[in-house]
Amino acid sequence: MDGKLRPFFEPNSVAIIGASSTPGKPGHEVIRNILANGYAGRLYLVNPKGGEILGMPVQPSIADLPAGIDLAIIILPAETSPQALRNCAAKGITHAVLSAGGFAEVDEGRAQIQQELVDIIREREICVLGPNTSGNISTPHRFTSSFFPLGKIRRGKVSYIAQTGNFATHTMKYILTSENFGVSRVIGLGNKIDIDESEALEYLADDPETSAIVMYLESFKRPRRFLEIAREVTRIKPVVMLKGGSTEIGRHAAVAHTAAMAAEDRLVDSMLRQAGIVRIWDYTHLILAGKALSMVPLPRGNRVSFLAPSGAMLVVLADLCIHLGLEIPDLGPDALQRLQEISLPFIRMRNPVDIWVAASVKGVEFGYREGMEAVLKDPAIDAVVPILMLTKDTGIPSFDFIIELARKYSEKPLLVTFSGERQYMEDCKEFIEPASVPTFPEIEQPFEVLSILARCRRAMNRPQ
Amino acid sequence: MNAEQENPRCRTKKMTDPMNLIKETLARGQSALSEYDSKRFLSSFGIPVIREGIAPDAESAAAEALKIGFPVVLKVTGRNLFHKTEVGGVVLNLRGEEEVKEESGRLLKIQGCEALLVQEMVKGDRELVCGLTRDAQFGPCVMFGLGGILTELLGDVVFRIAPLTPWDAQEMMEEIRARKIIEPFRGEPAVDMDILVQILVALGEIGLQYGDVLEIDINPLKIRSNGKPVSVDALVVLKAGGPVYR
Repeated sequence: MDGKLRPFFEPNSVAIIGASSTPGKPGHEVIRNILANGYAGRLYLVNPKGGEILGMPVQPSIADLPAGIDLAIIILPAETSPQALRNCAAKGITHAVLSAGGFAEVDEGRAQIQQELVDIIREREICVLGPNTSGNISTPHRFTSSFFPLGKIRRGKVSYIAQTGNFATHTMKYILTSENFGVSRVIGLGNKIDIDESEALEYLADDPETSAIVMYLESFKRPRRFLEIAREVTRIKPVVMLKGGSTEIGRHAAVAHTAAMAAEDRLVDSMLRQAGIVRIWDYTHLILAGKALSMVPLPRGNRVSFLAPSGAMLVVLADLCIHLGLEIPDLGPDALQRLQEISLPFIRMRNPVDIWVAASVKGVEFGYREGMEAVLKDPAIDAVVPILMLTKDTGIPSFDFIIELARKYSEKPLLVTFSGERQYMEDCKEFIEPASVPTFPEIEQPFEVLSILARCRRAMNRPQ
Repeated sequence: MNAEQENPRCRTKKMTDPMNLIKETLARGQSALSEYDSKRFLSSFGIPVIREGIAPDAESAAAEALKIGFPVVLKVTGRNLFHKTEVGGVVLNLRGEEEVKEESGRLLKIQGCEALLVQEMVKGDRELVCGLTRDAQFGPCVMFGLGGILTELLGDVVFRIAPLTPWDAQEMMEEIRARKIIEPFRGEPAVDMDILVQILVALGEIGLQYGDVLEIDINPLKIRSNGKPVSVDALVVLKAGGPVYR
């Protein structure tokens, strides 16, 4: 690891080229973001108008900056970006985030400006993220180059690489406002004229602040190099990927998992399998997998037990598990005996667990607590999903028991979903997620996510 | 030892140099190895191929058949003969010398026929396909799937990017929809996975080492009734416009 990307994530000094005093403008919001996150390094602002922004002095030109700045965030129109990049290079700045869009993704003329940037990068040997990117995030360093108003970004241990502006903008906003997990690094690749997915993955592979990697990609710049790197990473860290579109032809909607898949997408699929990367197909799973990877360990295998307060759910979710490649094994005698004790004699207890009688006759908390513990204890089970019944009429339990069980059986993932009243589901989520027990609003989701985790484990354990 | 059992010609001829086969073919201005040379090429990488011999006339065809053992298959071969079945140039299940001579006489008259291929008849109900393709982005890729006429019909094939680890090869077998074909089948034992893995890994290696090889198609790769895979028909296509050896 040559630390090539480190200045993007651990800059000691940052210059914002195109700093603005107008709230709402990217050149202004980026400053607010940096301040909101408590960035401890030196911050320099550049705008020809000079003056002050948010109480900080503004330099009229790049030439006026002091020497030794680690990173430039260039927030200028496409047309003026090349000259700014040249001036930064002249100032000895080696790393730059190019935020502007409007390059090769628009038309040929714009592609020429992009080519100009490529030439500068080659000539001056500088590292560039973008263009057409919403920037990057590095919570361990309390830094972001995102220009989307995010406020303080929650720190976590999962990192994202995204070939889209979404991640450092509104998807991050969603995670911050709707979820209880945080991120470590986020890398918005943009048009990838310099830093590509291979380098980003290589950086995160060696990053001690990253324990799992979630990716969204639309193309591979150097697929063989990527495979080479990913093959190694996936043995030490789980890597999950949503691959959008298909590579060259680009017009095929991804007809997932069918023989109608575009030939090149079949190769992408093969490559990801060889790389040990777990392919996902839903945008939602980028967030839900990130949540689970933040909160629970990988299961040892794919053997699941679940507890549902409904026969229909038992049937439907059992079918789902099989489709997802999850097993629902028979329980051991100890678990069976305990389940029988907490239920009624004429109910034959088995896996999946019909918890309705135990919960309704002996109390929701008692039924779920004892039922969950019985299956968590069973050595034949790798992960447990309770479909927690929460209605005022059947009684709302204290949620402490869930956290206690998750701590007691910390080597087994416990993923919670619900049936009942929305209000109590929200209460439960806000109570148990900060204690690292993930919840999922739809009953299929914990199983979908478990299958992702089980595939990560399988990839990690695959022979050389 | 195994290779000798599969191909007795290894004993009589010195080991084939795969690079020479490529050079000779390109020097003749051809863009693909003949069926016979394709199998010699693959055999030099440890890929099992059927017992077969090449014969210029009826007499030597009968002699080859005796060496191989009856029943045999007789095929026309010639540099411009691509659709052997369509011209009636393939005869199956010949059981004696006289039959071979008689059919040889007929086949040799087919336009474009330069010699005859005499091949063992492989017993076994299962047909697989494997091969090598090149992708502009991904480079050499190994293909594996359901063989024979079902390849085109069902498209039940999967790919891996070279080089392949043995684990990659094993996963390919689990990934085809007809994965049960690898298991014990109609009284025949399970397919010998070790050999299958070895074939797929070898194809990837060829792709990486021989830039002149554009494509390889082994179809069918038949499964003998003892579970051992063997290449029955194979084609090695060379890069058009690639270096020409003189």
